Amino acid sequence: MGDGRLSNSGSNSSSKPEWLEQYDVIGKIGEGTYGLVFLAKIKSNRSKSIAIKKFKQSKDGDGVSPTAIREIMLLREISHENVVKLANVHINHADMSLYLAFDYAEHDLYEIIRHHRDKVNQSINQYTIKSILWQLLNGLNYLHSNWIVHRDLKPSNILVMGDGEEHGVVKIADFGLARIYQAPLKPLSENGVVVTIWYRAPELLLGAKHYTSAVDMWAVGCIFAELLTLKPLFQGQEVKGTPNPFQFDQLDRIFKVLGHPTQEKWPTLVNLPHWQADLQHIQERTYNNAGLYNVVHLPPKNPAYDLLSKMLEYDPRKRITATQALEHEYFRMEPFPGCNALVPPQPGEKVVNYPTRPVDTSTDIEGTISLQPSQPVSSGNTMSGAHVMQNRSIPRPMPMVGMQRMQPPGIPAYNLASQAGMGGGVNPGGMPMQRGVSAQAHQQQQMRRKDPGMGMTGYPPQQKNKRF
Amino acid sequence: MAADFWTSSQFKQLLDPEELNVVHPLDKERGITAEDYKLIKFHISNYIVKLAQYIKVRQRVVATAITYMRRVYTRRSMTEYNPRLVAPTCLYLAAKAEESTVQARLLAFYIKKVQSDEKYRCEIKEILEMEMKILEALNYYLVVFHPYRSLTQLLQDAGMSDSTQQTWGLVNDTYKMDLILVHPPHLIALACIYIASVQKDKENTAWFEELRVDMNVVKNIAMEILDFYDSYKLMSDENRISAAMNKLP
Repeated sequence: MGDGRLSNSGSNSSSKPEWLEQYDVIGKIGEGTYGLVFLAKIKSNRSKSIAIKKFKQSKDGDGVSPTAIREIMLLREISHENVVKLANVHINHADMSLYLAFDYAEHDLYEIIRHHRDKVNQSINQYTIKSILWQLLNGLNYLHSNWIVHRDLKPSNILVMGDGEEHGVVKIADFGLARIYQAPLKPLSENGVVVTIWYRAPELLLGAKHYTSAVDMWAVGCIFAELLTLKPLFQGQEVKGTPNPFQFDQLDRIFKVLGHPTQEKWPTLVNLPHWQADLQHIQERTYNNAGLYNVVHLPPKNPAYDLLSKMLEYDPRKRITATQALEHEYFRMEPFPGCNALVPPQPGEKVVNYPTRPVDTSTDIEGTISLQPSQPVSSGNTMSGAHVMQNRSIPRPMPMVGMQRMQPPGIPAYNLASQAGMGGGVNPGGMPMQRGVSAQAHQQQQMRRKDPGMGMTGYPPQQKNKRF
Repeated sequence: MAADFWTSSQFKQLLDPEELNVVHPLDKERGITAEDYKLIKFHISNYIVKLAQYIKVRQRVVATAITYMRRVYTRRSMTEYNPRLVAPTCLYLAAKAEESTVQARLLAFYIKKVQSDEKYRCEIKEILEMEMKILEALNYYLVVFHPYRSLTQLLQDAGMSDSTQQTWGLVNDTYKMDLILVHPPHLIALACIYIASVQKDKENTAWFEELRVDMNVVKNIAMEILDFYDSYKLMSDENRISAAMNKLP
């Protein structure tokens, strides 16, 4: 992208939008509230697979969904080997649908965990767990150092590349809820967003008003434990339809494993709204059976256990950061994490063959694209039998979550009035300046520097050369 | 990168001044000149500000919307992308990008309040269609860094917190020009602080010297801003604006 190859839809009269011509669409691989995901091959390079995410028009007739806007906005700026790559964006103007094309990843942690639990009945090997965790932290470290919080990490959003150049490389995906946190972020619940509660940090469940990168680290802890045991660590029953972030069952499960939080361990606990309100008398309950090591079957002295317990630290300010976690002893001992999580570097180790993602070849993308403006989406699908693949069966609904709801307007405007003041048409103050001040005269000023804080991090490798 | 200007798409896309106001062939055919471009963008920026006052969004949303609009016209013609529609649509898209979504219905309603001229009226559907065209024209680059972010901190550091309002106003006015497409935002902030300190007779040379920035660039930006104020009367002349606007379809 960025080289002008981003296509626009054809206003031509052919049977499909122009941009679609570059793909062979194989079938549907996922479905969520945001829309549909299709698997496609690039015609000019058949070895390259692409996942095309089609966004539905938002229901309330308000154009491109804010989720899609945020996802595009962030993915267009970031680039890292452990973050999913946005290969292209397409628009079909006729039915106003939007498509994000990603490099395709054959596996995800949800499927890998499920395969081990339900199919082979065998734990994931230690090398693979460590490599996955290291790569996940590596991607997250990149995001966090760029002030991006993901906010919806869970096994189905952590992808693993299948056969090919990037085999076994972990990719963090689904940035629909991710945010740049230069300004404090409002809780998701206030925007009417519903996300899986199993990976949600306790401070959010207790009504913390703002997100920090520590919420992602909690989720990584939960995912780490799930890789070890093949079971979700805190599988709470969600109370649906409440705008209240307080989920008693989820907290109850966390407390049962990690023990009752105390003000000693977590000084700001008492300031959290739902701890204060104490609706379910959580303050008085006794949870004395703290036994995380029993749940994950690791001795407390084991480095893996040490790292896990630091990710599941109650106090978000004490919780280990991605940078710190990458330095942890666990990653400095054998087996060392490699960049292909699926194939251990030592020969002779057993390699698990994970199943490929099921593809529903009965739903073709063309059947979901309308070429005529203001015409309902035709349901007649143009299935092409040639694409049916033997080892692919019916797709599961992907547990991805999207959001469609709008947040209400009403953020107060400020300082607009100051616009009026300027523009008196005079040189205010009669500035003593000349054009083309000699460059040499100011050279020494560029050299010295007081402090690096300017609201900008870092300095440019080279200044863009300009004529003034 | 999303939080680092120097690795951002905005830094990579900064333009040379001579790349601005290059009249698109389609616009040339209609007799639209580079001077008309400046006038129309100036007028349309003011229109976005007025609309924003009604729908109540933060200044950052306004600044992002104007930046989008100015970027669109470095690549697209005013003939095909009617500024009267591009203005509210950029505001609509910027509000989404800056997390303060506004309903298209509401915008269409306020357009009628702000502009009595029938030519500005638009259907909700037109805004939604234009939103997609603008996304495309922007090449899907939506993150914009603004001078506001570094302003407060810089003013504090310079011991000029009492000039916050004045400097903020100066920064607002820089969006009536194309500066945000040409210069890194913190240099625009510094130029505004420079103007404010000269106006206040505040001796700040030492402070500026200690910053590791090219003061030539800062002073040149300040000059551009002052030149703009000099031409302000001419720029806001209703007759000239409507003459330029009337060349549009």
